[in-house]
Amino acid sequence: MPYPSRRQTVLLFAIVILLNLAVAVVSIFVGKYQIAPDEILALLMGGDTVAPMSAKVFFTLRLPRTVMAFLAGLGLGLAGSAYQVLFKNPLASPDIIGVAGGANLGAAVAVVMTSSSIPIMTLGAFWGGLAAVACVMLLVKATNSHSTSTYVLAGIVINAISKAMIMTLKYFADPENELAAMEYWEMGSFSNITQSKLLSILPMFLMGLIGLLLLRRQVQLMGLSDNECRALGVRLRPVRAAVLILSTLLVASIVSVTGLISFVGLIAPHTAKLMLRRNNSITLCLSGLTGGLVVMASDIFARTLYSAELPISILTTVTGVPLLLYFMCIKRGPHERNFFY
Amino acid sequence: MSAIFSIEDMCVSYGREKIIHGVSLSIGAGELCALLGLNGSGKTTILHAACGFLPMTGVCTAAGQDCSGLNEKKRARLISFIPQVCSMRGGITVMEAVLMGFNAHLGLFGSPSRAQKQFALDTLERLGYASFKGRDFGTLSQGQKQIVLLARCLVQNAPVMLMDEPDNALDFLNRHMVLQKIREVLRTQQKAGLITLHDPNFAMNYCDRLLLLKSGYLVGEIKMKGASREELEKKLSLIYGAIEVFSFNGNFFMGQVQETETSPLFTKLC
Repeated sequence: MPYPSRRQTVLLFAIVILLNLAVAVVSIFVGKYQIAPDEILALLMGGDTVAPMSAKVFFTLRLPRTVMAFLAGLGLGLAGSAYQVLFKNPLASPDIIGVAGGANLGAAVAVVMTSSSIPIMTLGAFWGGLAAVACVMLLVKATNSHSTSTYVLAGIVINAISKAMIMTLKYFADPENELAAMEYWEMGSFSNITQSKLLSILPMFLMGLIGLLLLRRQVQLMGLSDNECRALGVRLRPVRAAVLILSTLLVASIVSVTGLISFVGLIAPHTAKLMLRRNNSITLCLSGLTGGLVVMASDIFARTLYSAELPISILTTVTGVPLLLYFMCIKRGPHERNFFY
Repeated sequence: MSAIFSIEDMCVSYGREKIIHGVSLSIGAGELCALLGLNGSGKTTILHAACGFLPMTGVCTAAGQDCSGLNEKKRARLISFIPQVCSMRGGITVMEAVLMGFNAHLGLFGSPSRAQKQFALDTLERLGYASFKGRDFGTLSQGQKQIVLLARCLVQNAPVMLMDEPDNALDFLNRHMVLQKIREVLRTQQKAGLITLHDPNFAMNYCDRLLLLKSGYLVGEIKMKGASREELEKKLSLIYGAIEVFSFNGNFFMGQVQETETSPLFTKLC
């Protein structure tokens, strides 16, 4: 199957952006509190004829939730794509170097110490994620071997330690409150997203997002062997550290307010690669948009499929798998297997 | 001829084992030197150490600058490198692969300019590969990939080119074509080239000088201009053992001396 032409690539991007917009529109119309479509339109146009309660619900809960779902998918898709290139591993996802594990531990510690106070859990998860990656980098420095496999091994070590500590906390946790809060956090949800939460993580998120997009050419070069990167003039250690720190900021800022969202960081890059049949810096951007689409669609299902809200990780898996399977089953040339590192 | 690239007293070790023992060499502008030696003699190690991939002692100078204290970017502006095996996979076009060569000349967030893209296209054109620019790199044969790597190395535009068996996996005609292009580029652009080759016949016919490496020691040097058959035979036998060198139409060829049942002593052309 040939490469899509420039025109087809632009068309593909346009379709994915339009789908994102369509799903976002559906997302802002869905929710437990009934807001009529004409009220939503009036609110978006800046009208003041809408009931104050509806306006408050819309601006502090409904709209931030949709924006957060899109940003979460965008960030996880981008970070996942960067990790897969950086670690030359098709199974790499944001938890490969311990961000998710660290955030999970941070949230679990916050649950035990503050009896499930949500703002403290958010802070705990954010700093937990950053601390885990800092530990990975210290371990790599201690080994004095800066190859990508050392980062992966250090990530496995930190993930294992985080897991063991979480299990210990769970074992001693109060099963009715603390254990339930920890389990619920691990499954992820957008039900607690508010305007203030969204704004609080936005600076970190944008720093990670803009930084990664600016470094997209360097990220692509990092897919080469270390020696080839050096020969082409890539400042291997600082660039690798920058990509890791930026993607960690991105992932930590997301999971700190949403809890763990599984599968998106893994499948969004693969779906983008299969759609584009390429693995370059454009794929990085399409991975983000695909992630946004999957998470927003999953969040709609999470709110509508059952009377109580379902955890987001169940839905991201249910939504993402058919999408990935569809693109996997499309007939393609044997060489295209080559670029799935 | 003024030296553009030189190595003085290079020593490289893997752990406690010393691999390269005090190698010194210098290469002038427009000169192509071949590093010849058997497997494991240290040819690739010398290139890797000069590129900064391996720690070394001694001094490595390119275009008058000591390379030891330079970071990857500054070093890449002085030394370009073609690896034995390319780690690039599919999913990118040939043009994108060639444009990677500009990285050393771009800022951290920069992208190749229109003029640089045109230069990359011209380079592919010179190598006869302009029609490949939109092809997926992963669909090329190993030999075609090596030519794209040569194009990438040329757009890097460093005064020194180090090449680790760039003819590896090339067919007979493409091998001649690639070596001819390399020699032509080095001469017209006055760059210094150091190439590792396994086939001494190609080295004798395309390189200006042969550097003979045995067990990490530089054991001899042959200037091809004015070299006699006897000198070649004597020096090349230091690393290849029983060999014989022939001369035909001003070109030299090496053959291995072998004993068989039918003919007690005959020379097998390499």
